Amino acid sequence: MKNDMLGVIFSENPEASMGELTSLRSLAAVPVGGRYRVIDFMLSNMVNSGIIKVGITTPVNYQSLTDHLGTGKAWDMDRKDDGLYILPPKETGESTVDVLGGIDRLNGIMPFLSKSSQEYILVSDCNTICNIDFDEILDAHIKSEADFTLVYTKTGEIGEKDVKRHILLDVDDNNTVKDMHIYPSKQVTNNSYMHMFITKREILMDLVEYASTHGKHQISKDILLPAVSTMSVNAYEFNGYLKKIDSIQSYYGFNLDLLKKDVRDELFGLSTDNPIFTKIKDSVPTKYAKTSEIESSFIADGCKIEGTVKNSILFRGVHVAKGAVVENCILMQDSEIMENCLVENVIFDKGVILRSGKKLVGQDTYPMVIGKEIVV
Amino acid sequence: MRSKECVAMILAGGQGSRLGILTQNVAKPAVPFGGKYRIIDFPLSNCAHSGIDTVGVLTQYQPLELNTYIANGQPWDLDRTNGGVFVLPPYTSAEKGEWYKGTANAIYQNLGFMQQFNPKYVVILSGDHIYKMDYNKMLQAHKNANADATIAVIEVPWEEASRFGIMNTNDDMQIVEFEEKPAEPKSNLASMGVYCFSWEVLKKYLTEDEKNDESENDFGKNIIPAMLGDGLKLMAYRFDGYWKDVGTIQSLWEANMELLDDNPGCDLDDENWKIFSRNPIKPPQYIGETGVIKNSYSTEGCEIYGKVEHSILFEGVTIGENAVVKDSIILPGAVIENGANISKSIIGSDAVIGKEAKIGSLEDDANKEYHNTKICSDDITLIGSGVKIGDGNKIGVCCMVTADV
Repeated sequence: MKNDMLGVIFSENPEASMGELTSLRSLAAVPVGGRYRVIDFMLSNMVNSGIIKVGITTPVNYQSLTDHLGTGKAWDMDRKDDGLYILPPKETGESTVDVLGGIDRLNGIMPFLSKSSQEYILVSDCNTICNIDFDEILDAHIKSEADFTLVYTKTGEIGEKDVKRHILLDVDDNNTVKDMHIYPSKQVTNNSYMHMFITKREILMDLVEYASTHGKHQISKDILLPAVSTMSVNAYEFNGYLKKIDSIQSYYGFNLDLLKKDVRDELFGLSTDNPIFTKIKDSVPTKYAKTSEIESSFIADGCKIEGTVKNSILFRGVHVAKGAVVENCILMQDSEIMENCLVENVIFDKGVILRSGKKLVGQDTYPMVIGKEIVV
Repeated sequence: MRSKECVAMILAGGQGSRLGILTQNVAKPAVPFGGKYRIIDFPLSNCAHSGIDTVGVLTQYQPLELNTYIANGQPWDLDRTNGGVFVLPPYTSAEKGEWYKGTANAIYQNLGFMQQFNPKYVVILSGDHIYKMDYNKMLQAHKNANADATIAVIEVPWEEASRFGIMNTNDDMQIVEFEEKPAEPKSNLASMGVYCFSWEVLKKYLTEDEKNDESENDFGKNIIPAMLGDGLKLMAYRFDGYWKDVGTIQSLWEANMELLDDNPGCDLDDENWKIFSRNPIKPPQYIGETGVIKNSYSTEGCEIYGKVEHSILFEGVTIGENAVVKDSIILPGAVIENGANISKSIIGSDAVIGKEAKIGSLEDDANKEYHNTKICSDDITLIGSGVKIGDGNKIGVCCMVTADV
């Protein structure tokens, strides 16, 4: 059933550094999991939660994202009323630093926010991959009568280097947020904020208006943190699988997580009937030749496999020729591995061609990335 | 309504009784094919690629699944503001209501539908065949020849010609005689069930045929002979690609297996002529540590932990550890549990084959209760959709299992 909540997704995250993978596309458009893009997870979560109007802010590099989203048909978001809105930046002549602040991005879509009719609003980054029911969180939010609800997850021990990438919450027994630690140097709690919050649309518009007219840019520091002391802010714990994609390593790790059955079953909503939607390509089924040897791999349609593939993710239309060996790799759409090649711990962007007999070996802790349409 | 130069009508009401349990609950055009398709995807995709954007699909037998499958036509790019795809079941009117009596009567009952588009030509297709064809080229040939009707023909082996409707032509490919399943064929040009008619001619002959109480209201038996009898210009249009009737279990099995050949007759992996289908919303397939898959087709949502050889797996199929699947077609959602053995079989949608069960067994103690050589020729075994085969059960070859065993 539909609910009374508007969704807003940020297609970029200034804290993510994806190198080559985002040189030609936005973070939201990075291909993951054999046939998906990063945005598919958050957008499908919103659709499956009954949200019928979603705006996606696209400050930079948005061609491949708009190409992927189209009219929103694959998500059933091509509607007469509401549906999917792609929100490019206003031509303001401001510097990109300003454009990249969350408050600036929300300020830039103020007309979209004010024209929407929904009472509540959900704001989320695009790069936390999980299968989450926002309708349940909205119910909890309404019941709690709080001004904000922040979604968080319990983490284990976070490494010293990584803790600076987290926002940690002090939460009391009544799920009230008592304090927020933004990018701390020590792990003070194990409640990590997931960069998703729910509030009333009008409350958010007022706060964005105030913050942006006072030279503020960051949602967490300049809106949520002050709200913790002046308003009522609740926390909602998500306890399912999640992975934040903000580096090549976390990207690689997420893809390889998909080789685990429990992760696949939960993330793709196979038991809950909350599937992850994506653009359809009408690829043929994958053809395995007599010479194929496959072990523990996640393979999309339209591939042709004559060689050996182990512990790898193959996107649509990949060709692995005879005698080639692919191990611990992520091969994006239409990659071609010619005869007798050996590739290990490598990420191929779309359309990479590896000529016969070549050998490419990266480190399992630091995979090699080959850029789009490069011929090796 | 804007005019359309050409409207296509797909005859999709047939039962396909020789497909046995596969068509118990669905019409033949909705039968799954080739890992992610249904038979009707072929004519619909052909229409889309041929530039025909107005298509009527005539349904009658078990239409529910076909209706939901076609729905608004979006997978075939047929969700149009002007034109698009229309499902056309039989209907009642102020005077009478009746089922579609024959192929010609089905089209006759929908003359009003076609008239709305004020077409110059009508292409009539059957929803029973696997082929990739540019109908626009045929339409051009029809126009160039200034013909009244053009019928697509394909050369078949002489020894099989007596199974088909045969067109006897003169040197200019003008049809001089039509013979339905002749004992002694004079030609090996078989009708493909693909017709192109000039609208006024079609309207006139269908209306006259309807007045004739003795007519069987069939294109092959009545309309074409009547046109030939009146000396109309009927042309044969030679098609030399892959074309296969999949009306029997054996031919359906063969057509699927031909996809696994090194150079398949019907290449589905054709960027310029993709076969569109309604895609499932499923993640990519997963081949486990113990999984082996060779010389096979497999698609999204499959999980393979056993051994698969020379087989076609549809979406969401699970093959358990130590299970062996050979020379078989496993339809969507079927589960083959650990240690089961499937050989030369077609396993219906959502069927469950229990642990260590054997399907297509040649052993003496195999269950032969469902032996049915009328449907299952050539040692093919057929398990109906949703059927559960208990652990360790052996089902003999040529069985068509319609209930849990």
